[in-house]
Amino acid sequence: MSSFTTRADAALADPILKIAVERTAGTAQAKRAIAIDAFPDFEAARTRAAAIKDHVIAHLGPYLEQFEANAIAAGAQVHWAQTADEACRIVIAICKAANAKTVARSKSMLGEEIGLPHALEEAGIGRVETDLAEHIIQLADERPSHIIWPAMHKTSEQVSALFKAKHRTPHEEETIAAMAQSARRELRGAMLGADVGISGANFLIADSGAVCTVTNEGNAELSLVPPRVHIVTAGIEKIVPSMPHAIHMLRMLARSATGAALTQYTTFYTGPKRPGDRDGPEEMHIVLVDNGRTKMREEGLAEMLRCIRCGACMNHCVVFRQIGGHAYGGTYPGPMGAVLTPALDGLAPNRDLAHACTLNGMCQQVCPVKIPLPTLLKGWREKSWREGLEPTSMRAGLSLWAWVATRPALYRLGTAIAIRAIRLLGRNGWIARLPLAGGWTRYRDLPKPAAQTFMNQYKQEQRK
Amino acid sequence: MSARAAILARLQSPAPDASQAAALLGTPERPAVDATNLLSEFLARLALPSVNASHDVIASLTDLPAAIARYLADQHEPLTLCCPPDPRLDVCDWSAFTLHATAAPDETATLAIARTAIAETGSLIFETSPTAPMLPNFLTLHHIVLLPVAAIAAHLEDAPLPGPQPRAHYWITGVSGTTDIEGTYVRGAHGPRFLHVILLRDEFPHISDH
Repeated sequence: MSSFTTRADAALADPILKIAVERTAGTAQAKRAIAIDAFPDFEAARTRAAAIKDHVIAHLGPYLEQFEANAIAAGAQVHWAQTADEACRIVIAICKAANAKTVARSKSMLGEEIGLPHALEEAGIGRVETDLAEHIIQLADERPSHIIWPAMHKTSEQVSALFKAKHRTPHEEETIAAMAQSARRELRGAMLGADVGISGANFLIADSGAVCTVTNEGNAELSLVPPRVHIVTAGIEKIVPSMPHAIHMLRMLARSATGAALTQYTTFYTGPKRPGDRDGPEEMHIVLVDNGRTKMREEGLAEMLRCIRCGACMNHCVVFRQIGGHAYGGTYPGPMGAVLTPALDGLAPNRDLAHACTLNGMCQQVCPVKIPLPTLLKGWREKSWREGLEPTSMRAGLSLWAWVATRPALYRLGTAIAIRAIRLLGRNGWIARLPLAGGWTRYRDLPKPAAQTFMNQYKQEQRK
Repeated sequence: MSARAAILARLQSPAPDASQAAALLGTPERPAVDATNLLSEFLARLALPSVNASHDVIASLTDLPAAIARYLADQHEPLTLCCPPDPRLDVCDWSAFTLHATAAPDETATLAIARTAIAETGSLIFETSPTAPMLPNFLTLHHIVLLPVAAIAAHLEDAPLPGPQPRAHYWITGVSGTTDIEGTYVRGAHGPRFLHVILLRDEFPHISDH
């Protein structure tokens, strides 16, 4: 597998990627700002949302048992999985018992996290991704690059070419509306013909056993109502105590994700079809997935379990906006991904994700549940240092820096010489090439440093 | 040890009492709604670009077929309607329409009855029951919703039914839309492209009273 730095290099060198990411993330950032301005109590609402999640995480066991009992009472079957593999095995077994040839999937990041698309493929079960963006990346045989807009990395021109190559009756007019219609034609029959519908859950309501999904496309309902079997795969942290708690979280989620007051379609499913119902699945299965969450709770990452997967942190991240989601390598990109991926996939292969952060704090500022993402990222940096995972060059460089920095006279002399040398390379206030810093200057210029170091300027000011 | 036992063993904690969870809600922050003027508050949200619904007002339930006919004529659609098997609609004269109860995969127009609606967001609230199928409301191109004016409530907290939950309780706040290609909004992604709300001024019986 390629390293983060190689992937980030490739992303930086791709001019189309930057345009695509900027188009969607820029719009998302602007729309969120308008929505938050229109909700003056948003700051207090964030504090409340964080407190609700912390309460649930502190009492997760009892709440899961309460949810399970209520879901079973409503006629659903509840399964538990400690690992991603176990969760996939459970889903495949349910599909096989239902003699399923095709499943319709409504976008679920948990499904991506546990590798469900791949597991279905290996089991020979046809898979129809019904979210438009997931449909695009299924056709392109790619992975999601954002948790809300999985096809963010694709321009409309690329989507157009893809649909023309793969759709039975593709669009003729080169508009985004025509492309969406082409997908509608392609997917409608596939959704209605599926044997099993698979979704994630935005919230699990403990006191009723209901599963909540939100979409703007209505693809969840179209994927989950017609098939005979509905399977939910959900992370155990998705629990909320009751509907009013879910409502508070929904107000935060929609505004943070897309800048809307609410998603177009918000559905609470409680068990399978009831006697006399004209539609709905005969069976409803809920797979509660741990996959590292109990460990995160035990090992100082409980705050990360507050995450409601809105994507605001990545939309506002200066690093994500430069490199897009694929460079992060895991299921979850951006700041929340940089915290989650080492927990899910191990620190050693993902140690450099925590370094892909300027610590500007934007992610924490926009997070609807106030996750201290920069602090958690620093935690991974420290752990990586303690465990000796940082490369020798980094360790040697930092040791040298520490040696000089603890000798102020030497440090000042060194910086004074360094800025003089660097200034020699400047042209019109910018430095286009810097020895030993090619990784920086290849894709952007460095501002020419001031003529004097900060300390020198400070001393001169004091003398006046 | 089963996966269930293994997971729960790592999550042992005292069971929270309901008052702790309720205290967390207190007075939740939410957008202001003028409770004395719920109809105009609701209509203002319904007209937002994000909700994008049209509306009409009728005095009596017997005016419903004419209102639907008017809407469909404006849309240049035939008077064919997927209609829920709700006995309360029997007072209407449907003779001008071709009615059916099961939606076609490419259904043109579907009627649904909202139990309530929420002024805070412009949402229409539905539940599944033997007289209220769910799928037609998602397959159709034109989603036509009957809403008694008296049923409009202020906040999302007013949406759920108390007690045991129906199989599906769902909120519709606009038409099927997507921003998946370059963040550009397109309506009619998978489901309805048009949402038309017909507000009923008369009292409307609750289904269980019928």
